[in-house]
Amino acid sequence: MALRAGYLPGINANDVEWQTLTYDRDGQAIEVLVPLLSDEQMKDLSGRIKEVSRQHLKSMAVSDITATIDAAIARLLDRNDTYRQQAEEYLPLITGYDAEMVRLGLTGYLKTFRQSELRRFVAEDFVNPKILDEFQPLPKGGYGRAYGPDLLAHIWAGNVPGLPLWSLISGLLVKAGNIGKVPSTEPLMASWFAHIIAEIDPKLGQCLAVVWWKGGDVDREQALLNQADLVMAYGNNDTLHQIRDRTPITTRCLTYSHKVSFGMVSKAALDTGKAWEVAHQAAYDIVRYDQQGCYSPHLFFVEQGGAVTPQEFAQYIANELDCFEEKFPRRSLSIEEASGVAAWRQSEEMKSFFAENNAVMGDANDAWSVAYSEAEEDLAPSGLNRTAKVISVKQLDDVPARIAPYKAFLQTVGIAAAPEELQRLAGMLGAVGVTRISALEHMTAPEAGWHHDGRFNLLDLVTMTEVERSAETAAEAFSDYVD
Amino acid sequence: MNFDGKIVLVTGSSRGIGAAIAKAFAGEGATVIVNYVQNVDAADEVVAACKEAGGDATAIQADVTSGEQIQALVDQTLMDFAKIDIVVNNAFKPYTFDPDNRKQFWDLEWQDYQDQLDGALFSTYTMCQAVLPALKKRTQGSIINMASDLVARPTIPYHDYTTAKSALIGFSRNLAMELGPLGIRVNCVAPGLVYPTDASRKTKERIKEMIVAQTPMRRIASPEDITGPVMFLASDWSRFMTGQTLYVDGGLVMK
Repeated sequence: MALRAGYLPGINANDVEWQTLTYDRDGQAIEVLVPLLSDEQMKDLSGRIKEVSRQHLKSMAVSDITATIDAAIARLLDRNDTYRQQAEEYLPLITGYDAEMVRLGLTGYLKTFRQSELRRFVAEDFVNPKILDEFQPLPKGGYGRAYGPDLLAHIWAGNVPGLPLWSLISGLLVKAGNIGKVPSTEPLMASWFAHIIAEIDPKLGQCLAVVWWKGGDVDREQALLNQADLVMAYGNNDTLHQIRDRTPITTRCLTYSHKVSFGMVSKAALDTGKAWEVAHQAAYDIVRYDQQGCYSPHLFFVEQGGAVTPQEFAQYIANELDCFEEKFPRRSLSIEEASGVAAWRQSEEMKSFFAENNAVMGDANDAWSVAYSEAEEDLAPSGLNRTAKVISVKQLDDVPARIAPYKAFLQTVGIAAAPEELQRLAGMLGAVGVTRISALEHMTAPEAGWHHDGRFNLLDLVTMTEVERSAETAAEAFSDYVD
Repeated sequence: MNFDGKIVLVTGSSRGIGAAIAKAFAGEGATVIVNYVQNVDAADEVVAACKEAGGDATAIQADVTSGEQIQALVDQTLMDFAKIDIVVNNAFKPYTFDPDNRKQFWDLEWQDYQDQLDGALFSTYTMCQAVLPALKKRTQGSIINMASDLVARPTIPYHDYTTAKSALIGFSRNLAMELGPLGIRVNCVAPGLVYPTDASRKTKERIKEMIVAQTPMRRIASPEDITGPVMFLASDWSRFMTGQTLYVDGGLVMK
């Protein structure tokens, strides 16, 4: 059977060209139909979404929008709901991720979009969230109101199930009309979400659409870029560069590029009682979605001087990865991915020939590898797909200076350390460009309202309209009650 | 381990641990009787997997809580294959391991215990009675009864289930005493929580994490983890072992 991705309000499905994407995982083939809009259709769709966004969405209260999103998320959390059941059944087949990992991952992720979390999300960026609904007094004087764009274009990438929901929900919260382009690697979740929104609130359902084109289809991409008021794009630097270049000069373009995240383990966490637990948490961050997220750790700086040595800690991680392979088996890799892993292993093995204590743990056939090093190495991404490196360091305080040259690539650091160390390291890491610090085991699950790459998710999307004090004062002179 | 020419009867082997055991024996060349009670499609799939694994297999329907059906199962097996070498009493009365919604002791009725005793003990008793003439005739055979590590450590007190499995271990020891002189061995395998199976699917992550943290091998068992010790007890490698219980739970229980 073929599933249908995409969501196109106001367009008859028969008028659309549908392409078939085929996914073949371990002998189970599945087909997904994706919509390919003509230039004209994209223009019409954009026009309609802008119109409804202006007429309807902008007059909705943020609290009504959060209530609708909450109701949609509740359905995706309900194991008896048909969309949830489809997600549990098909997302593992589409993405290759272990079914249990997807099931648990979806629940953990979707929970961050319940109403209370969404309100926190808004409050995080707007001291007074009412500023999205009506003009509010400003501290400097006068009044201001924040407006989302009429059409926010999202160009998503990657295969972590449901990731597009982040920016799509951000768009809705600032009352933007949205057109999102799903990647071929996971086209379903955003489409289902849009359908659910439309089922709950048909009018709101006319304010968003989910489209597709093959990555690199410049013409189709251009058709959307031309219509958008604001563009949010994800992917590697080359892709983002092209998108930014083709975005009209009057349109803002926000890009989220690939990042490198890592972990830090203090000797305070390396006593015989806690070390295993910490290794378990570190391994979980490696395993979750096979390091496909920007927040996934590639390496761990582990401090010397604890009861458990960095080398033993690396061995603990190796064994935990082996145990996780039973629980959440790694997805089968593409040829490119497998050769990426092999190349990384090979280069790490080469290094271990020349450094006595360096080692690569795990066989080439294992679904994981851990490299261990005592050398002063540069920050480099791992081979992905459950490959990680443990670097032994004299003290964690030395790490920030070592990673400083990579400022543009840094994102999340997972830390296991005592409170004073955490404070001290946070200051040093923030100064060299790290934008998020979390506990280990939470690296891949940012909390609601986090600032992606240190940016303001919602604030970046709006423009302020200010009524200055002078206008107010001047208006007084023209009132009919003027003395 | 080579089970060429061996006839292995595994009760309740259309799914879960039983299915894994059936496939593992077939992978070592055995002919496996895949017993099931309801799900014929699942049983057929296991048979196909057994054949693909290099052994032979046939599915036979029988409810092991019925003495007559067990007798018919054994009769048909003997008619088709003339002998039985190994019996794995794996079937049990359907039981949902749901820590959050389990019955507390004061919610239980004797019938709950009776049902589990019927599922674990009556079925094994009846099966042993039924196959014994055939085993005695050749003064050889290995009987493996599936218990649970909850017997030694009731992490979650599933009273009725665990009591029945405790009785099964006592039953097996006595039977081992009786059948030792006849060259027939009786042992138990006591797995820890095995995930995923239909029975354990409702066990929440929180509980699994708790068990993992206390398990030296730091993970939950998969059905395939259980097959090795079962085959060991079925083989001549354990020819001087009887009346034993092997705990297969990553070291959670050490006895």
